[in-house]
Amino acid sequence: MTTLQGLHRPRSVEEAIALLQRDPEAKPISGGATLVAMLNARVIEPQALVSLAQIDEIRGISCLSDGRIRIGAFTRHRETAECGLALGEASVVRHAASQIANATVRNMGTIGGSISFADPGLDYPPALVAADASIEIASASGRRLVPAHEFFVDWYTTAVEPGELVTAVLLPKPEGGHGLYVKHCRVAGDYATASIAIAMQRSGHVRAAVGGCGPTPLHDAQADEILSADRSDAAVARAGELLEQKADPLDDVRGSAPYRRRLIPRLLLRAVREVELARGNVE
Amino acid sequence: MSPADTANGASSIVLRINGEEMVVRAALHDTLLTVVRDQLQQTAAKRGCNQGVCGACTVEIDGRTARACLTLAHACVGAEIRTLEGVQDEPAVAALQDAFTAEQAFQCGFCTPGMLMSARSLLEHNRCPDESQIRTALSGNLCRCTGYVKIVAAVRSAADALRQEEAAS
Repeated sequence: MTTLQGLHRPRSVEEAIALLQRDPEAKPISGGATLVAMLNARVIEPQALVSLAQIDEIRGISCLSDGRIRIGAFTRHRETAECGLALGEASVVRHAASQIANATVRNMGTIGGSISFADPGLDYPPALVAADASIEIASASGRRLVPAHEFFVDWYTTAVEPGELVTAVLLPKPEGGHGLYVKHCRVAGDYATASIAIAMQRSGHVRAAVGGCGPTPLHDAQADEILSADRSDAAVARAGELLEQKADPLDDVRGSAPYRRRLIPRLLLRAVREVELARGNVE
Repeated sequence: MSPADTANGASSIVLRINGEEMVVRAALHDTLLTVVRDQLQQTAAKRGCNQGVCGACTVEIDGRTARACLTLAHACVGAEIRTLEGVQDEPAVAALQDAFTAEQAFQCGFCTPGMLMSARSLLEHNRCPDESQIRTALSGNLCRCTGYVKIVAAVRSAADALRQEEAAS
């Protein structure tokens, strides 16, 4: 019937890591929004679960002494969507959180669980890349920080090694810019068919990432350069074309690969215009 | 060492459901939905997709809506759980039930308990929702029969009725 034989409830990250190292078949579980669905469908049949619900250190959002924002891995999407801190250009992450699935799922799912799953249609991955966030990963030898664009490695694959655990997401110190997330999906609450996450600093420097159009969020330094220097319709179209060429989307039930490619420049133009409006600096 | 539940089969846990402490037997992989439906015979919450997509299993945990199918029963120890059975006497739920009947906002009725739980949560925070707010609040609940026009109309008329009731009292 089931292979599940243990449910551990560690109270610290160190204890959780020790459990995961001792039992390579054990899976960490946070909100359950993804993992329990996989258990129900028997996509995975772990020997044991390590519940992260009792670890206070990885809950909630705080401002660090150096100005960076720390989102604990066990922070629910609802809390991130409702975060009252001034996030500046990193508000792209809050905006993406507010568009995940629906209110009930946002009550359950956590940022650590979501990004560890690393489905290309998820809303957080492109937002974290646009925000230039770092992911804090704990192992027996301590903690390391991985830039978001290196964290997402391939389809459903992250930089997290066996015996490791995502403990937090760190957003750079907000510098008064603006960020937002534009998502195209078939019906309310679906995964993105394609999406654009954009973070614009007060200086006008832009960092954009594409979701849903390849194994990992698509980010291109050249596109950022164009968008930072010139945001005329023609320039945005040029950046969009670059991203469209570099995208590697699949055909699936949400849309064909050519359709997804076509969405990229259109969503990008919308995202650029909206973020300029939010910045109160329409040129 | 951390406490671990190592029973291969089911073990006894105490869940607080609709204000009552219930002793149930649950295996580690059993969801809250399995326990309330199959063991406690509280069948308002429905098993639709069992994947967290359809919303038919919507319940309330610690004051917020949750998918019972995505919640392990063992993770609910110490939580305050409410199912539709436990809230049906609330004025908002009574108003919603009357409005769903009056507007004929269901055909097979399978999605209705989940719709009511989500609409109840909306009305708790917003007594005067507009159509877009209602649609957003119900976006995690799928109906495969009626379409959503009558369901949205029912929630709106329940909100109207509640406001009138409250103004009169």
